[in-house]
Amino acid sequence: MQSSFSRLPSLIALSVLLLGFACTADAGRVELGAAATQADLTLGCLYPMTERAAIYGQDSIAGIQVALSELQGLREAGEQVPRMRVIIDDDQSKASYGTGLARAFIRKDGVQVLCGMVSSGVAIAVSQLAREQKVLMIGTDHASSRMSLENGHRYYFRVTNDTWTSMAAGARYLKDLQARTGWTRLAFIGPDYEYGHVSRDDLHEALRQQGVKFDDVTELWPRLYEPDYSAYIAALEQAKPDIIVSALWGGDFHAFVKQAAGTRLFETSRLANFDTGGNYDFLASLGDKAPPGLILSARHHNNFPDTARNRAFVERFHTLTGRFPTYAAQGAYTGVMILARASQKAAGATDTESLIRALEGLEIALPEDPPGFASRIDPLTHQIQQTQAVGTPVPNNDYPPARLMLGNWQLYSAEELQPDPATRARRLAQQIRNPEGHAP
Amino acid sequence: MMSLYAVLIDGAIYASWLFLVAAGLTVIYGVMRILNMAHGSFYAIGAYAAASLVGWYFNNGIGPVWVGYLMMLGCALAAGLVVGLLIERGLLRFMYGRDEVLMVIITYALLLILEDAMKMIWGVNPYFAYQPYAEMGRSVLAGLKVSNYDLMLVGVSLVLGLSLWLWLERTHQGKVLRAVIHDREVAQAMGVNVRRVFTLVFILGTVLGTLAGALTAPAISVAPGIGVEIIVLAFAVVVIGGMGSIEGAALGALLVGLSRAAAVHYAPQFELFVIYGVMALVLAVRPQGLFGRVLARKI
Repeated sequence: MQSSFSRLPSLIALSVLLLGFACTADAGRVELGAAATQADLTLGCLYPMTERAAIYGQDSIAGIQVALSELQGLREAGEQVPRMRVIIDDDQSKASYGTGLARAFIRKDGVQVLCGMVSSGVAIAVSQLAREQKVLMIGTDHASSRMSLENGHRYYFRVTNDTWTSMAAGARYLKDLQARTGWTRLAFIGPDYEYGHVSRDDLHEALRQQGVKFDDVTELWPRLYEPDYSAYIAALEQAKPDIIVSALWGGDFHAFVKQAAGTRLFETSRLANFDTGGNYDFLASLGDKAPPGLILSARHHNNFPDTARNRAFVERFHTLTGRFPTYAAQGAYTGVMILARASQKAAGATDTESLIRALEGLEIALPEDPPGFASRIDPLTHQIQQTQAVGTPVPNNDYPPARLMLGNWQLYSAEELQPDPATRARRLAQQIRNPEGHAP
Repeated sequence: MMSLYAVLIDGAIYASWLFLVAAGLTVIYGVMRILNMAHGSFYAIGAYAAASLVGWYFNNGIGPVWVGYLMMLGCALAAGLVVGLLIERGLLRFMYGRDEVLMVIITYALLLILEDAMKMIWGVNPYFAYQPYAEMGRSVLAGLKVSNYDLMLVGVSLVLGLSLWLWLERTHQGKVLRAVIHDREVAQAMGVNVRRVFTLVFILGTVLGTLAGALTAPAISVAPGIGVEIIVLAFAVVVIGGMGSIEGAALGALLVGLSRAAAVHYAPQFELFVIYGVMALVLAVRPQGLFGRVLARKI
């Protein structure tokens, strides 16, 4: 009896804890759009809603909300657009956990399309599942170019710029810069996982294709979410590069730049980040003064292009959330809009095969497209082809709390950013040969 | 030669930061035998409290710079005091004497709950409070330009480590604490209020955690998940030094810091491996850690 009483407080406390855990465990799941019984198409999206990348998950949800409300407007205006049900859950940036959720989406929720994913590591694992289960997958944020080349398959499409596109734009920018300044010494710093290493490979290959000669003076691989960059900064200072290309993203890029500001690094080297550096959250973190020499780009810019479509997207996002979007929002928005357009193109069909046929070669005007350009899905790789704009920070108070936005734009068309045929063929040839592969 | 200086300076900076984080963890384990998984959350709470308050203070240009530093320390102490007291009194005191594995599970659950609680309070947008880092400027040391804030962290770690050691070894309270560490039952029989000692130590450990977070906040972007990221490294340091040993945590932090800095400068591709390689090597030679003691199992 005495023993039972002495265990009671601990059992109560443990129960409270387990209840607390149970309450929070499913807190990530969000359902948007049509009810299950009314939906023409059900999407199961995975985004991080915990840890560092949570902001990208939250912005993606808001991007999907903007897209669903736009589709509702089109439906009310008489257009035939599918009713979509979008289930979103927290992949916790873990491949095994994300794959488990994706499997449950397919089995329990009857999901027809998997979408999302910020981490390339999670996306690769879920993409394998999509291939096995013959379920359509729309990548909206992860960027490793291996996803649509070496690891591509007929069920996988990506609707945001990949590392190849970003690095190809960067290589062109660096080529022009070399002609003006004569730089030769190049350093690279990127996170030590799939995305960082593919970014380095793509940069070097793109520079080679542009005929840019350079000395690779050092390559550094901090772990993801590294809090202290002082050793890397000292190593970079000693390597004396003219240009440092970084594939660090989000808070990591911010921490690196803040810790490097005030050292001699920016006195002797220019820092470039072609894939994520121009993201709104980084620009906002700079305050009113950027370190000298930054060269940045991202997969969407709030202030470029200055078109009605981009302004409307940014305004709708701002009205919905009270803040300005990171590039993740436009990726998720595009995922929903492109599926709706594909269904329209397939005369209202929403089955996987019809959607794949419609998506291949599909053209669509998106917020990211400058006047005269449209985004297009490459029928061979299933990678969206878009222009890329590279710029430098300039004062701009139109998007508070950011006081700097990008300007001095250099624009590169989608056509000039494609890998050369030999590179593309070589990388596609590495796909695992199976009936679902789309290798030539 | 310059590289060697860089390794020593960078290694010392990283080690000081690691020690700040690991000190609370090892103090709690040493006295209470609780492997506190939630320590990472205390670090994160300190970082969020400091980043939000200091960011607000500097962004609104409210007063002199030095007040900002005081606020940073003040909010870390206040947050540690409140959180530590609430958790110890509201939860852990019901669990004392339980299996260590159960305590790991409980503190892990606590970590998950606190992580979500922080998201509810501070949201998912990153917080930036870089002003204290930038305001301190730079110094040239052995030809390298080093942040004064980082040098200040080295100083804080030294003072903190020395204070903890003196407190444990040279004060009456420290003797009582060591008595509890040595034999809880005998200490209680000799009139030591063990529960009070536990409360004191847990609050101290929590404050050390929040202080580490607050001091790190100006150098990073404070975002969800920073607590989870840090706990693995802190464990590595504590395990290398010997669980429950302040000297061990200091030496462990120094070993990891210097090895990592050397890897970054001479073999960047091995940087991650080096941290855990050192741990594996130490455990292979001394499974109880460098300063750990082999304890006879009580039956």
